[in-house]
Amino acid sequence: MATYAEMQQIFDDIRGDFRYDHELNGCLNCGICTATCPSAQFYDYSPREIVQLLWTENVEQIYDAMQEKIWACAQCMTCAARCPFKNSPGGLVAIMREVAIKHEMQSAKDVLRPFGRVMLKLITTGNQLSPDMIQPDHFPDWGPNIQKVEGDLRILRKAIPVKTLQTVETAWEVSLKTSVEMYTIWEMTGVLKSLELMDENLFDVIEDFIDEKREDYEDWLEEQEEEDDE
Amino acid sequence: MQQDTVLVVGGGPAGLAAAANVNSAGYKAVVVEKEDVLGGAPILSGYAKLVPSGEWAKDAIGRMVKRVEDDANSTVHKGAKVEKLEGEAGNFTATLTNGESVQAGAVVLATGFTHFDSINKPEWGFGTYEDVLTTTQMEQMVASGKIACPSDGRVPERVCILLCVGSRDRQIGREWCSKICCTVSANLAMEIKEISPETDVFIYYMDIRTFGLYEDKFYWKSQEEFKTKFVKARIAEVTASGDGRLLVKGEDTLVKRPIVIPFDIVVHAIGMDPNADNPEISQVFGVGLEKHGFLERAEQYTNTCGTTRKGIYSCGAAYGPETIDDSIAQGAAAGGRAVADLHALVQKAG
Repeated sequence: MATYAEMQQIFDDIRGDFRYDHELNGCLNCGICTATCPSAQFYDYSPREIVQLLWTENVEQIYDAMQEKIWACAQCMTCAARCPFKNSPGGLVAIMREVAIKHEMQSAKDVLRPFGRVMLKLITTGNQLSPDMIQPDHFPDWGPNIQKVEGDLRILRKAIPVKTLQTVETAWEVSLKTSVEMYTIWEMTGVLKSLELMDENLFDVIEDFIDEKREDYEDWLEEQEEEDDE
Repeated sequence: MQQDTVLVVGGGPAGLAAAANVNSAGYKAVVVEKEDVLGGAPILSGYAKLVPSGEWAKDAIGRMVKRVEDDANSTVHKGAKVEKLEGEAGNFTATLTNGESVQAGAVVLATGFTHFDSINKPEWGFGTYEDVLTTTQMEQMVASGKIACPSDGRVPERVCILLCVGSRDRQIGREWCSKICCTVSANLAMEIKEISPETDVFIYYMDIRTFGLYEDKFYWKSQEEFKTKFVKARIAEVTASGDGRLLVKGEDTLVKRPIVIPFDIVVHAIGMDPNADNPEISQVFGVGLEKHGFLERAEQYTNTCGTTRKGIYSCGAAYGPETIDDSIAQGAAAGGRAVADLHALVQKAG
């Protein structure tokens, strides 16, 4: 349990985000956001509650909501499309999640752990998901539909009429240049910093991989120059 | 002699009150009404009993129409608009679309409002489902004396009224409260229950604004005597159920859970938009509009009936959402102010 000062600091970080005043104008407590929210149908989550907690600066309950509730939001932003005040409860949740990561909250680590696999795939191949990742025990939420991809993936892949490289390790090829550009973007936008806070081991693996790829790219550029000189 | 004449544009409650006051001061009033009948929104939209008097609109506003039409100092042009205005305070010449020309020393713009068109909130089902109505349509149903679902004529078990349709909604650029819909809806619920005692009425609200003396007479009475249920929730969407009823999706903000409730009729408490003609009115008369699109007041405390142009006055819902009673009071004030200013002008010249 955090001290009051820590919880206050977490709220100050949320409120200090440059998007905060744009996402929160006030609240009439009308409930249209929760009424329209798909997550509220299934989880103990209410966008109106999130907005109210922030609007009333209830730092303890805000901290409490960051343990579990904010991770139920699907970021579909239907709430933002409906709110008569033009608040964005989903946008506020996005800020809260980023602050949860910044403060290395356990809830963030727990929620994000399964995505480490996706992150690794993304960094190494440029694809979030590859066919060989689609396995029944990884996607319980697919229900019986998972049976459809349980066959011989190689053969199923070949049946797709567009170019798929006929492989199951990646969805499509991402060039070295694109990959290196993506690393720069992730670095500059703080994605890699977030990763370091959430999962240091994964970050180390990925950092080594990025260094290697960058070296490859430098080598490739030099080769090109040499070829041009000839 | 134009300095003994006031041109009144609009023949609703405000315009009729302005014309009557001009006449009672011994001046001439020329009323120009774009529709073919006088009486404005209460008559054109077929309102039932008015708030707060409880008198039928056709009787109450009918008296106002008769007072103006019977006055020898009044001239009425129906089915006509002003298309051009030349001159200045004390000496205006208006050209009407019926070819007539009017000389007047002052102009009162009693041009009112336009009802919000519920089509602009498609998620609430108006135009999609037959049993989704507006308050004006429900008023007409009350006036007809029979409460029934338009789709199949059955008597509704449950009717809900959704407040703030086209009001207090930044999503569609309506950042104003339409002022009277809360009271009108509380009243409408009582009227429905009176005609159809087996029908239960629910009102979904963000805030209840039955201001002033409307609190006990409408809000409390509707609950205490007519068992109207007020639920604090803004509805997300209206859909159809398999059995021909309407499903209303909201959050029960008390128990903090999303709910879906069946209804037989859904009524939109539609708000007041600026008159759809206001851009044209602004151009023809050379008057400014405020940020929502209503007419701009000259000054709040010492020239409350004025517009941004000297010699042109306004009143009622042309300035913003307004009750019938206050529109009448403002109309009378604008008529009085116009003749007072004309009188001063003549004295000065004389």
